[in-house]
Amino acid sequence: MEEKLKQLAGKREKILAGGGPKRVAAQHEKGKMTARERIEAFLDPGSFTELDTFVEHRATDLGMDAVEAPGEGVVTGYGTVFGRTVTVFAQDFTVVGGSLGEMHAAKICKVMDLAMKLGCPCIGINDSGGARIQEGVDALKGYGEIFYRNTLASGVIPQISIIMGPCAGGAVYSPALTDFTVMVDKTANMFITGPQVIKAVTREDVSAEALGGALVHSEVSGCASLMFSNEQETFQAVRKLLSYLPQNNLEEPPVAATQDAVNKRIQGLADLIPDSPNKPYDMRDIIRNVFDDGDFFEIQPLYAQNIITCFARIGGKTVGIIANQPKIMAGVLDINASDKAARFIRFCDAFNIPLITFTDTSGYLPGVGQEHGGVIRHGAKLLYAYSEATVPKITVIVRKVYGGAYIAMCSRHLGADIVFAWPSAEIAVMGPDGAANIIFKKEIEESQAPEETRKQKIEEYKANFANPYKAAMRGYVDDVIDPADTRIKLANALSVLASKRESRPEKKHGNMPV
Amino acid sequence: MNKKFKVTVNGQTYDVVVEEIGGMPQAPSAAVQTATVAAATVSPAAPVEGSAGPGSIKAPMPGTILAVKVTKGQSVKRGDVLCILEAMKMENEITAPNDGVVEHIRVQAGTTVNTGDPLIDLA
Repeated sequence: MEEKLKQLAGKREKILAGGGPKRVAAQHEKGKMTARERIEAFLDPGSFTELDTFVEHRATDLGMDAVEAPGEGVVTGYGTVFGRTVTVFAQDFTVVGGSLGEMHAAKICKVMDLAMKLGCPCIGINDSGGARIQEGVDALKGYGEIFYRNTLASGVIPQISIIMGPCAGGAVYSPALTDFTVMVDKTANMFITGPQVIKAVTREDVSAEALGGALVHSEVSGCASLMFSNEQETFQAVRKLLSYLPQNNLEEPPVAATQDAVNKRIQGLADLIPDSPNKPYDMRDIIRNVFDDGDFFEIQPLYAQNIITCFARIGGKTVGIIANQPKIMAGVLDINASDKAARFIRFCDAFNIPLITFTDTSGYLPGVGQEHGGVIRHGAKLLYAYSEATVPKITVIVRKVYGGAYIAMCSRHLGADIVFAWPSAEIAVMGPDGAANIIFKKEIEESQAPEETRKQKIEEYKANFANPYKAAMRGYVDDVIDPADTRIKLANALSVLASKRESRPEKKHGNMPV
Repeated sequence: MNKKFKVTVNGQTYDVVVEEIGGMPQAPSAAVQTATVAAATVSPAAPVEGSAGPGSIKAPMPGTILAVKVTKGQSVKRGDVLCILEAMKMENEITAPNDGVVEHIRVQAGTTVNTGDPLIDLA
């Protein structure tokens, strides 16, 4: 027996060493941790249990029979984050470049299946050179099986992809199918085809960083949900993100302890908004003041900044916030903003997170680029996502909201449960200038002093229609509230809506304008 | 037999020498050669960063410049307001995306701009 124990210890030691000291040192030199170090850094200390340690590949072609791959280039298992179970896999770049072969994929699939059975989040740490070419179609099969599981798990358990190295070709589609993709600045890359192939085909000369670095995917493509400057910070952020989320779609989100009273009036909230409706302000200031401990967690903070999507808490309970950002591009709705918000709304709805919408937008962005880019079908995503959502939906109309944007930003008509408006709200079919020019066209033209008449008519329209009361008269707005009471009113509405049940016609699934 | 051609690609004129060998398989090489010239000149014209140079701040939407808040040669910090763009009935602050020095101001109060028009260059 002693002999056998010795043999076990020897085997395990070899596998735990990964790709060996030389490759581990190279990994460290790049500012990257090894797969096992990453799991230790991410999970609660000492909570990790490894599975499939002894799995080996069975490829023999192209010299693979001579290749030893300790752990098959991926470390998998389960552990806890703030005491709650998660399953995790971390690709090991020190072992055959973290390349994905048949058995490597099988290990990943096993922890994905386990997460589904347990009803807990699955976290993937990606650092891989891509498909293990020697394994041919078996490697492709591996990717396919992961994508299939990502899709089946979508909306059942939270799935988070952390990119901590190269992630190229087919490998990028697993992160894309998960709920959140978190990248590390400078060391993470994602692309379908890399710089060399692009150069050969289109002759565009581009570095890996400029093509698929964390900043590009955060600012330009929107493929990254979040980016951080190093691995340690990334893990802390993902832990925080998980703290807002339920374990699965049948649970409520966890309640966090807070000293912040819910029945607190917030004096000065109204003063955050400039008197002139043409002046911008930072919507984040309002969010910071209303929610627990001034804390909120933004998703895609650098992408489509004209709309804010974030998690926050009120009375310790998680909410998902969608808010126009007047400071950026007048808070307009455009293709990217609609896409960003729609995806966030659907995540919240899938995981029982109530939606709170803060509205102040100049409307849909006009332009040939927008129209030709498909703002009709992309904008429709926002309408679809709000209408489809059955979680509690509360809207606070802060200032301007005209026309289509009024409908889109979780109006009563898309199923909002409670709609509040601040007295500064302007809800109408279009802005005063445009409306007056159309409605009073004849009077203005026939007037002795057309400019005078125009101004007068604009003022008239403003006084009569650019306010929350026309909408409140119809019951489209439930109450016009003092901004200072926003937190109290929201907390109250949320507690009342906690028992909300709303059913939808039975169907296989809708056909969202993706 | 050599033939000389003048080929203009994107406004650039190239002298191209084509050798005729008469039905030999090498003949297509002339076409390949010109294609390479053309492609080589196209690549710098399609940079990934955008055409107005790396430090150029562009209009995010169509509108009118209300005011320019900086002067040429001025040092600015990330987030400083460079100019005010009135668009969508809002006085939008156009801010510096990074620290730098104002190299070139391409607009003034009253200038009408379209999406993507360069406003101010930072060095």
